[in-house]
Amino acid sequence: MLGAQRGDRDAFKTLFERYHRRAYALAFGVVRHQDDAMDVVQDAFIKAHKYLDKFEGNASFYTWLYRIVMNLAIDHLRKHRRVKPVELDETRFENDGDDPLLPRILGGNPGRALLDKQIRGRIDQALDELSENHRSVLVMRELEGLSYEDMAQAMSCSKGTIMSRLFHARRNMQKRLLDLIDNPSAELVDDLTGGRVGDADDTPANDEAPSQRTPAARSRP
Amino acid sequence: MSEPADARSDLALMEYADGETGGQPGGQPDGQINEATAAAVVAARLARDPDARVKVAAIKQVGELVRGHLELSADAVHDAKFAAMWRRIDDQLEQPATGLWARVSRWFDRYRGHVITGAVSAGAVAALALILRPSTPDPGIPGRNAAAIDVRPVALRATPEIDSLDTPGGSSTVINLDDEDGHTTVIWLTPADTVEGI
Repeated sequence: MLGAQRGDRDAFKTLFERYHRRAYALAFGVVRHQDDAMDVVQDAFIKAHKYLDKFEGNASFYTWLYRIVMNLAIDHLRKHRRVKPVELDETRFENDGDDPLLPRILGGNPGRALLDKQIRGRIDQALDELSENHRSVLVMRELEGLSYEDMAQAMSCSKGTIMSRLFHARRNMQKRLLDLIDNPSAELVDDLTGGRVGDADDTPANDEAPSQRTPAARSRP
Repeated sequence: MSEPADARSDLALMEYADGETGGQPGGQPDGQINEATAAAVVAARLARDPDARVKVAAIKQVGELVRGHLELSADAVHDAKFAAMWRRIDDQLEQPATGLWARVSRWFDRYRGHVITGAVSAGAVAALALILRPSTPDPGIPGRNAAAIDVRPVALRATPEIDSLDTPGGSSTVINLDDEDGHTTVIWLTPADTVEGI
């Protein structure tokens, strides 16, 4: 980091190589378009380099970088808005405040589920259908593990608003995915059960201990 | 036996799952949240309500799926695309500047705000001085165009010419003096000696 601040390009390239995919995942999660995400990441690194001397080292370089990525991604959404943003989910929260989380989880192993094209396609579709604000909060939380307070600062809103957005983003994701599970294709059933069709242990159940059903899909970097 | 739940109480479950228990807005009238109490309430609910446990598990599962999906999406981008991105970035990076001018530029960049503030303040003071100055020049202070007007003392302009000097009841003397300061004329009057009543 110090080398990069002194103008050492190789040191900056090392930072790029270390964080570019993580930055891309964040940008892609928010802007939902590969080329746009690439543009955001590129601009973020150029901006980070330009203001390296202002980086004080209080946080990690990536913490600083993700803020730049997030700001650029949100700016990008505002500038290149393809559909008129309607915060349906937030409106619904106000009018439908008693809609709770569904007491169901996907069967099988989430890590294995991610190998299934239908499930990944449905995750993509569900992310696309979330409002920009809900999606941004969900991505910040799930990908970067940001606290409610940090997200509120990043999005210039209250902590309560962040909680509302996150709650409904998660619930909508859950609904989308459960729709798929409730009407599974044979291929999906095979993927989720590992070919053990009819095995009662892999069917969704409401009263099973959660810890037995939520193996980590992947360790956080 | 599971208990009825609504979004508000599930919000508390979400906070618990996220390790943020205690921050639910409106949880206490005065805004003070007793985190230990809030966590205890959620823990008690989790202990007796299987639906609540599954909901917490569902929150975590959705998180795993979203994170895993986005990371796999990033992994799927070919290295060549990022290599090309780095080349574009490298082309646009500013060269580290050296030398006196570069140091001055960096100093200006760093203190640009202070410099601009100082310049604006100085400009404002100058503008005020211009606006508030007297509209007519002080006659006692020679102005820029004063040199065009000869305002030298009379004595320096010309020697006075005295045609006649009538001094009834006395006598007079006219003295003309020339020195390096110019010409001076002194008129000296001497009354005749008179005594009243004689």
